[in-house]
Amino acid sequence: MWYFTGGLVLFFFLLQVVSGMLLSFYYVPHVEQAHKSIIEIVTKLNMGWFFRSFHNWGAQLSILTLLVHLFSVLLLKAYRKPRELLWYSGFLLLILFFFFGLSGYLLLWNERSFAAVRVATGGLGAIPLVGNFLKAFLRGGVDVTQDTLVRFYAFHVVVLPIITLLLTAFHLLLVQFHGPSIPLSLEGKKLPQVPFFPYVFLKDVALWLVALGILVTLSTLFPPEIGKKADMLAAPPENIKPEWYFLFVFQTLKLFPGEIMGLNGEVIAVLLVSLAVLFLFLVPYLDKKSADGKRSPFFTAISVLYLGYFLVMTMVGFFS
Amino acid sequence: MKLPYSLVTRRTFLNTLLGGGFAAFFLGVFTTLGRFAFPTLGKEPDFVILKAEDYLNIPPNSTKPFAWGGKLGLFFHKNDNVFLALKGVCTHMECNITYKPELKKFYCPCHKGWFDADGKNIQGPPPKPLEIFDFTVEGDKLIVARKGVKVELPKA
Repeated sequence: MWYFTGGLVLFFFLLQVVSGMLLSFYYVPHVEQAHKSIIEIVTKLNMGWFFRSFHNWGAQLSILTLLVHLFSVLLLKAYRKPRELLWYSGFLLLILFFFFGLSGYLLLWNERSFAAVRVATGGLGAIPLVGNFLKAFLRGGVDVTQDTLVRFYAFHVVVLPIITLLLTAFHLLLVQFHGPSIPLSLEGKKLPQVPFFPYVFLKDVALWLVALGILVTLSTLFPPEIGKKADMLAAPPENIKPEWYFLFVFQTLKLFPGEIMGLNGEVIAVLLVSLAVLFLFLVPYLDKKSADGKRSPFFTAISVLYLGYFLVMTMVGFFS
Repeated sequence: MKLPYSLVTRRTFLNTLLGGGFAAFFLGVFTTLGRFAFPTLGKEPDFVILKAEDYLNIPPNSTKPFAWGGKLGLFFHKNDNVFLALKGVCTHMECNITYKPELKKFYCPCHKGWFDADGKNIQGPPPKPLEIFDFTVEGDKLIVARKGVKVELPKA
């Protein structure tokens, strides 16, 4: 089962490329036009409502599948030697997908997306040394404005797809090179060898069809809301929340008070989150036991902790 | 003193020249690309001029927004002709804040941060008080300025 999640992400990504291309024919990246152009896509174009919904749900399912893929690789220790580069490239792809989500979200130019991007880029500004540079680079100026919208549009439709395609090609090449990972418990045992084509491929395609069915059903039954147009001088709505995959960071930031022992709580929170992400990124390097083919219960516990924290904080954020 | 041998071989010399040339070329290219991609940063204004009658007549315990560059500014009638001009942006993660008249507090909905009626951070994650501006009234003009900035308007 876990072997198919990677292929499923690829399938969703290809669907996103196609539906995104169609939407880009009509979307206008301007603060006065963006929100209106989406309303027009949804209300005036043939099947416009469907393709917009399809692109939105495609993004949600891509990230969900990617997270399942990440945690399955983490828990099965599939990152261990000699597949470290697969983990590193996959991890970078996850970050790219998150950035895809954030940049695509701003294109709506509604009050939620405006506040979300302000918070996300503002949070980056709290990183010591490089924070302000990153913030200004992403925003294209000192605040979230027209410059940010057009910049995020460029990231979303040009920069990120190209980097993602190159990195995905590299990731797939490594999969070809190393073959699928075998769990530690089964290493050394004789396993039945099945050729990829047509046996595994057929299973892949069957799963893709089921996924397509789920995606089309969700897109048809639950089209996402467009919301109110962003007003740069208005307060965000009560109980505002980011997309579900950012909820764990959102909840974490809420936990930290303004000042901790005389230090800025925001800086400490952003630093701790960054360190936790860096630790996860470096797991293949840090987990020496798995690299030697031995059982590594300490890193299993850490992986379960990460998964639990993500799930609990997401749920708390969702229901609070 | 004359050395009977060369200090640099022809190969080392050519490799350094070529390698250095490539390094300089790529450094130049990436610096130029980077400088283009990085925005020429504007800055927030030092002061803004508003119509005094629009702001000085607001009811007590209420606020009226104004544009502080691209950001939210709030003109606040605290009580009995005590006014305050402040930046309506949370000091935590830069969300716009809102005034809750029933509680006499400013509130940031993004991470549930609270500020008292003087802009002091009192609850939740905001690390600093809100930025307070100076303001003066000159004729029919209300001049809101960053603290310490002296505004001299041209005489008509």
